[in-house]
Amino acid sequence: MTVATGANEFSIERRQLYILPTRIGLLFGLIVLVLLIAAINYSNGLAYGLTFLLAALAVVSMLHTHRNVYRLRIAAAAVPPVFAGQAARFPLTLRNSTPLPRYGVRLEQSRQVAARTDIAAHSTQSAELALPAPRRGYVSIPEFKVASDFPFGLFYTWSRRLTFDAVCLVYPAPAPPTDLPASAETASGALQARQAGDDFVGQRDYQPGDSLRHVNWKAVARGQGWYTKQFGGGAAGRLWLDWEATGVSDIETGLSVLCRWVLEAERQGLDYGLRLPGQVIQPAQGLVHQHECLRALALFSP
Amino acid sequence: MITIEPQRRALLLMFATGAAAVAPLAAELPWWALVIAALGAAWRYLCDSRSRRHPGRLLRWTLTLAAAAGVYGHYGTLFGRDPGLSLLVVLLGLKFLELRTRRDSMLSVFLFFVLLAGAYLYTQALWLGLYTVLVVLLAALTMLELTQGTGMTRAVRLRFASVLLLQALPLALVAFVLFPRLQGSLWGLPRDAHAGLTGLSEDMQPGSLGALSESEEIAFRAALPRDAIQPAGLYWRALVLWDTDGKRWTRGEPIAGRDALRPLSAPLAYTVMLEPSNKPWLPVLDLPSTVPAGARLDFGFALARNLPVRERLSYRAHSVLRYATGELDASVRARALALPQRMAPRARELARAWQAQQPDDAAIAAAALRHFRAESFSYTLQPPLLGADPVDEFLFSTRRGYCEHYAAAFVTLMRAAGVPARVVLGYQGGEHSAAGDYYIVQQADAHAWAEIWIAGNGWLRIDPTAAVAPERIELGANAVRRLAERGIVPGALGSEALARALALTSAQQILRQARLYWDWADVAWYRWVAGYDHDIQTSLLRVLGFIDMSAQVLVLLLASVAAILLAAYAWWLLKTGGSRDPIQALYARYCHKLARIGLVRAPQEGPLAYAARCRTRRPALAPAIDQITDLYVSLRYGCDTSDGAGQALRAAVKALRVS
Repeated sequence: MTVATGANEFSIERRQLYILPTRIGLLFGLIVLVLLIAAINYSNGLAYGLTFLLAALAVVSMLHTHRNVYRLRIAAAAVPPVFAGQAARFPLTLRNSTPLPRYGVRLEQSRQVAARTDIAAHSTQSAELALPAPRRGYVSIPEFKVASDFPFGLFYTWSRRLTFDAVCLVYPAPAPPTDLPASAETASGALQARQAGDDFVGQRDYQPGDSLRHVNWKAVARGQGWYTKQFGGGAAGRLWLDWEATGVSDIETGLSVLCRWVLEAERQGLDYGLRLPGQVIQPAQGLVHQHECLRALALFSP
Repeated sequence: MITIEPQRRALLLMFATGAAAVAPLAAELPWWALVIAALGAAWRYLCDSRSRRHPGRLLRWTLTLAAAAGVYGHYGTLFGRDPGLSLLVVLLGLKFLELRTRRDSMLSVFLFFVLLAGAYLYTQALWLGLYTVLVVLLAALTMLELTQGTGMTRAVRLRFASVLLLQALPLALVAFVLFPRLQGSLWGLPRDAHAGLTGLSEDMQPGSLGALSESEEIAFRAALPRDAIQPAGLYWRALVLWDTDGKRWTRGEPIAGRDALRPLSAPLAYTVMLEPSNKPWLPVLDLPSTVPAGARLDFGFALARNLPVRERLSYRAHSVLRYATGELDASVRARALALPQRMAPRARELARAWQAQQPDDAAIAAAALRHFRAESFSYTLQPPLLGADPVDEFLFSTRRGYCEHYAAAFVTLMRAAGVPARVVLGYQGGEHSAAGDYYIVQQADAHAWAEIWIAGNGWLRIDPTAAVAPERIELGANAVRRLAERGIVPGALGSEALARALALTSAQQILRQARLYWDWADVAWYRWVAGYDHDIQTSLLRVLGFIDMSAQVLVLLLASVAAILLAAYAWWLLKTGGSRDPIQALYARYCHKLARIGLVRAPQEGPLAYAARCRTRRPALAPAIDQITDLYVSLRYGCDTSDGAGQALRAAVKALRVS
């Protein structure tokens, strides 16, 4: 747990912040100019007053536009994996450690407004960038800008392009639901595995990725900490999910079928292993295991 | 409660801003222009709220052309102040029908500012200045709404817009004071820029002052101490009328040269601030002894400029209240005795009788005044209409009238009796304002009186109205009007009964005081804001120590002061923008204390790891370190955000002693 601005938290300083009038701002300038000429021509004190009040308002609003993004801290949070065909979502946290709230801060991704949010004083907001992930593998976080035209839209301020060390793992798209392969080793594997798993043998410290169904919730509720209940007993049925068993020649289709099997096996609470050409993952279960299998599928290269 | 979606809320707010911007102009523009603008807004709102189809381009263009034609039909032109502003209002109303993007809406808001500035061409009063700030605030709220749409609550928006406006005001003030003012205008003013100003006309006929007698408009103000002069002596002369055709009195051909003035008292110095009258006369007290710069003195001691007074004009004058004037030469004497042949036969007959009976000219004048008092003459602001020979009709049949009737009749009688006489037009009286120690003279105080020439003394003021209605002179035109409203005829009551009749209730007193203070603020406003010109700027800068600044130097000065102000704002905004949250700051202080004894926290070190390291190195500090770390972690990462925990952390950090 680190408190200091981590390597992945970026604070937008003056050097990284640009500002220019918008087209509306230029129009406003034109109107102020017309008013000034009228004031001079009619030597009208009130017209001078209005002209200068409006000009001053615009200038002050420029400071507020700049201030709205200045020293905003941005960090990339952990990126949840997605399946191919879904959108990769990159969560960002926008931290405002100042006593002034920020309004209408925009994240702009290739000229499109990806997110728009207010951030109260001394608080954090999360926002998300999304990128289509059509293929398995890694997708990097897109470059983006933090921008704002608060308060009046007369000025537009934007940060230089930001990017982070954040990648999204894209699993293969799961094939349509199919039955699990019936390998010899598990003639009655599914049934056995489930029965065997019913005997409580003890508990150990919770580790991220352990199935939430096995968490000792009573202990959590009592505030004693997180433990994972462990089950064992009977001979564990082992399901091997084999590349060869898919019977598909196309690599991507095969990976999709395997992906579906992994999901299905995990759903049924089986111990399952994965056999890929040149890579074997020993049977186990739990979300960590599932992720490991899906990761292997995502990054598989023949 | 009805919730209004943001877009419609922005639309409503925009309409409100527009209505507020056009309101000061409403009385000056044709009613149908306002109706078209209102209909445009209503139509647009209905289209949006009932998701009707918006009117098509053909219809909009037809309406636009029709509106422009309407303005042209009304004024005969599309150019100038009134047609221009009418056109702007109408087109803005039609523009509402085709607002599509945010830029369209913003442009409309900007044009509201132009409308608001249009109102300044009619008046620059203090209330309009204060009102302007209100409209700008509304516009700021609208722009905020148009830009934001979400997030801020209504109260926050209002607060934010107010803060922005308050921050803008000093900057605007600096620009206002320092922006170089030019002398004269760039291209000259449109021809109708000064239409509708009221003032004394250049001639007099029965009824001509009647229009002014109802007007509470201020003619001028004069900074004059209250005890310097009796109210009854406040005769402000503006012009002298020599010639008559039997009905109208006119100035006639100007008389060359200047009459001699022999002062019999010390001159009284005072400043007059004249409202724009679109006339060249400069009213001064009887009789002026100096001529203000830019003015000329006519033969009858009337001051005038060459150009009509179109802005507020302030001038310094000196008057002697007791005086004698020079001899009368033959040609002037002839003009001061001239009467048309067939004019007022009965009046001439009466005058000739006085001429025969009375020993000298002064006695003839006294006889005329006695006649007015003795016969059943009365003072009224609603006199009967007079026909072909107004003087005879007035003197012998109607006998009801006001200052013009009496002045005209008296001068006619004097001339018929061989006494040189002339009519003087101006103002009489004025309300003294203790707030600024000056007199306020209204158009309703317009007055006409007579002057006769007496050998050895020169021109002598005689006010026949005073013989009939002394209240008019002693109490002022307003008092007479108030008496008339209550059905009391001037001259009918004794002074005590008069005072009772005129006594103000306490509420009226307070109202009157408030009005006088407001007037005083308005005067200051005009002097320093509305009338802030090249001369005032130069003298103000001289007071500040800047002498003989050219426009370029002023612009530079303005730029530097504005830059300093902006830098201060930026520093303040970004400084507070850079400060850490209080919990973080306290923790940093704790780290700093420990760093002094060599326990520097590594960048990647968390509070728990840091605490563990410090504990082992300095066991003596362990309890304090544990307490601070626990509090900090629970405040920062736990759900304990209570003030109590924050206070405890503050106390613990403060109490930490390292050595």
